[in-house]
Amino acid sequence: MGFNEIEVLLVEDNETDAELTIRALRRKNLANNLVWVKDGEEALEFIFATGRYFEREIHDILKLVLLDLRMPKVDGLEVIRKIKGDERTNKIPIVVLTSSKEDKDIVESYNLGVNSYVSKPVEFDEFREAVSTLGLYWMLLNKSPE
Amino acid sequence: MRILRLFHKSGQEKNKAWLAPAILIGLVVFILLISLVVDGIITEDYFRLLMVLLIVIMTAFLFERIDKVRTLNKMNEKLKKQTEKLKDANEELETFAYSVSHDLRVPLRAIDGFSRILMEDYEDKLDSEGKRLLNIIQENTHKMGQLIDDILLLSRASHQKMKFREIDMEELVKRVFEEQRSSSQSQNVHLKLKHIPPAYGDRTLLQQVFSNLISNSFKFTEPADERIIEVGAENGKNETTYYVKDNGMGFNMKYKDKLFGLFGRLHGTDEFKGTGVGLSIVQRVIRRHGGTVWGEGEINKGATFYFSIPHKKGSEENGF
Repeated sequence: MGFNEIEVLLVEDNETDAELTIRALRRKNLANNLVWVKDGEEALEFIFATGRYFEREIHDILKLVLLDLRMPKVDGLEVIRKIKGDERTNKIPIVVLTSSKEDKDIVESYNLGVNSYVSKPVEFDEFREAVSTLGLYWMLLNKSPE
Repeated sequence: MRILRLFHKSGQEKNKAWLAPAILIGLVVFILLISLVVDGIITEDYFRLLMVLLIVIMTAFLFERIDKVRTLNKMNEKLKKQTEKLKDANEELETFAYSVSHDLRVPLRAIDGFSRILMEDYEDKLDSEGKRLLNIIQENTHKMGQLIDDILLLSRASHQKMKFREIDMEELVKRVFEEQRSSSQSQNVHLKLKHIPPAYGDRTLLQQVFSNLISNSFKFTEPADERIIEVGAENGKNETTYYVKDNGMGFNMKYKDKLFGLFGRLHGTDEFKGTGVGLSIVQRVIRRHGGTVWGEGEINKGATFYFSIPHKKGSEENGF
């Protein structure tokens, strides 16, 4: 699979959460063009086509970035700041998917220009429902500028 | 108490170093006056003595002031240090609550998720005992999740900054009642809402109070045929006392002191669900408003929970 067809970027440091998220998306057939990276640094390399992902085209369409906030190296808020602060990437939809329900995280994320904020439900049924709903919405319903 | 106060008083007088020369000076002036009346003259030595005594008294007075300022400064310093310590402890608690909410949920979701996946993907390979065991795992993860949510609520109830304003308590009760009714899907619960005055406090926290009290009433009236929840208030001189009354299971007054203890429960979990955090939250919130909370009950007759909120004047100083 070439990086250029990738539609979803999952940024998640916790392996079990990542697996549960991918499973939920796969059930709705939304995980075919998905890349999972484990920290903010790798996420930025992917988005800006540097480092490990220098072969990628920065202009290629990314329909959705699913982003955790607490991560090693570069945290989620920093990733939002970089993506939303750059003309080339600021139209990519970012959905924060995190365990945090803290007001300050929500406010800060929106201040930085995030498109949506979803706190991960503990119950797996609800979690699966939440992930597939937002997957369907952002990847099939939502229209991004070409 | 009185003895203590006496000690305190004599201790205070001891500090007044200018008192002795003041008495002396009084004496000298008295003698002076007498000699003035008798002889009609004041000797220069008398006058000098008077001056010296005056200087002594001034110096003593000055020293005392300096001493006072020094002690005050010391106390101030101590207070500053203590405030800082408290601030640190508070911040630490907040970080703790945050990590509880974030870090404990992740493994819990994994346990719930993967046991669910096991149930779905390997259904044909599991016998009924295997499925029963998996169900137990899921039930317990649910309980743990509930517990984490409640602990977090308790921590918020204790540390969240309060925004004081006037709150329409009637509207708040109606809203909470409707919420509970729709989430519990019970149609046979009736709300008897008396006229209750507004309160001066934090809306989010007081909503939490009503939410916990009314959801308790929903829970403990479940076995009754006609379930009635009454909410009313009584206006006192300095405070208003609100109450939530129901005709549910009630409780033995013998245990009234255990009602508000953290994780305290008067019923088995198989009878009534719950984590035993709800009333602790109520108590914390009311205490932060400078009020008190108590409960009355009788087994199989019902329970009434009262809480008082001080009137606007000074309530912000009472709260913390």
